[in-house]
Amino acid sequence: MIKAFKELGHYLDVTCHVIKMAAMTIIEYPANIAGWMISNPLQFIMGFAIIKFVVEAFGEVGGWNYGQLAFLYGLSVISHALSMIFFVQGWFMGYFVIEGDFDRYLTRPLGVLYQFFFTNINIFGVTDLIPGILVFVYGCIKCSIHITPLFILQIIVTLIGATLIRGGIYILLGSTSFHTRSATDFGQYTQEIMDKTTMYPISMYPESLQFILTYLIPIGWVSFYPVSSMLGIENNMYNGMLLPLVTLLVGILVMCLAGGYFTLGLAKYESAGN
Amino acid sequence: MIKYLYIVKTQIIKSLTYEFNVYGNILMQTIIMITSAYFWKALYRNQSVVAGVDEQSMLTYIIISSALSVVMFTNVERRIEQSVIKGTVATDMMKPVNLFGVYLAEDIGSIIALIFQNMIPILLIGGIFIKIPKMADIRDLPLFIFSVLISFLINWLIAALFGMLSFTAVNIDALIQVKKHLLRLLSGSIIPIWFFPEIVANVLRALPFVYIYQLPISIYIGKGDRLEQIAQMKIQFLWLIVLFALFFAAQHRITRKVLVQGG
Repeated sequence: MIKAFKELGHYLDVTCHVIKMAAMTIIEYPANIAGWMISNPLQFIMGFAIIKFVVEAFGEVGGWNYGQLAFLYGLSVISHALSMIFFVQGWFMGYFVIEGDFDRYLTRPLGVLYQFFFTNINIFGVTDLIPGILVFVYGCIKCSIHITPLFILQIIVTLIGATLIRGGIYILLGSTSFHTRSATDFGQYTQEIMDKTTMYPISMYPESLQFILTYLIPIGWVSFYPVSSMLGIENNMYNGMLLPLVTLLVGILVMCLAGGYFTLGLAKYESAGN
Repeated sequence: MIKYLYIVKTQIIKSLTYEFNVYGNILMQTIIMITSAYFWKALYRNQSVVAGVDEQSMLTYIIISSALSVVMFTNVERRIEQSVIKGTVATDMMKPVNLFGVYLAEDIGSIIALIFQNMIPILLIGGIFIKIPKMADIRDLPLFIFSVLISFLINWLIAALFGMLSFTAVNIDALIQVKKHLLRLLSGSIIPIWFFPEIVANVLRALPFVYIYQLPISIYIGKGDRLEQIAQMKIQFLWLIVLFALFFAAQHRITRKVLVQGG
């Protein structure tokens, strides 16, 4: 027991240091900082503007009005930002595999997955967080939501679950590189699919697709189900902790699966040049 | 010329190496295309015509947009960035070929491979699962192909210009992202700008992005009359000339800069 605590303390210690290091390395290229500062908010501001234009041209989207869509979009962007901070490396796992970069991690006395994600922690993800929070607050105002402790708890639990689901999916996709020996950057495609399925209500898709998004690839839980429960849409008037907790559970499940698949892949890893 | 054709050939062979990438890309693009199709179907549930376009045309639009995204593949910006970061740019420039000609040849090679690996499967899948993307008026075909060629060049020149920024900024990952988002949202590749409010749409019509995706697809689905399309193609051509001028000016500056630093 004491040993476990000591180890946890050690990990926390290392985490503090790597975050400091990550902060220092990003200052290396000033133009890059400026670029991220523009690029990430720009992407989401434009995405949100498009929702507005679409709603103006077509009326409601799948029975959701503008305020509700803003709420959904904001929450989805926040969880996207969190997954960008912690798990974006999953997109580039293939490059690590074919260039043999896991060698370094394997020789150190820390978990490989931990090192992979935390030594490359992406502090720039914060630039995604800001537009997300802005849109989310706007959505809250539009839906005239009363901020209660229950609501805040629902949001926090949902966000943790959603971030884990997203991160788990990135790890699962990245780990395929161990078996295929190729570096495919599915980042952009994953992003595009996630955009379509988390920023708009999935109830607009046909039943078969909804089934896939609920049970097979549980993206529906990232934002759609918890939000429709919180806002009381889609005949789902239950306004408690149940759906956020399910999101959290799904997140943990996906993460466990991803971790298992990664470990399986790592057993096949044989460095570069073999 | 033979030299560049040889590079094209090598690049085609290179692109054929990784099989999994091909299936992965097709799968991902199919998912994106089908979700977009349902997205538009849901939007058109209560309306038949919005902004002068009906549901069937919109479905054709997204299939053609997915297929066109293959032609808009560029790697030139990454290649320039890598050669600057690794410092090989000086020796690359000494080779008896035009460096940017090599990059263009490589991209053309990749695209030729992608047409078979990606574009044809996507058109088939789209035709089977969504609808057959029939052209509105087959007589517009030469016009369509011509405007796609100009689109490709505009897209490539924009990418090359962004790539050249790495001579001053070195690491341009973020700037590449900026370009990607601008292109994705402002070119009409996801949502055509005719659904945007009038003011925004007018601003976008003055920028080069809409002429990359939206103009060729508009011709394909027969949106607007011939005169309107010709007028837009004139602007497209104007942008091509402007971008070429910018490109040559930038190339000149960069070559001088590298020569000065190289000794």
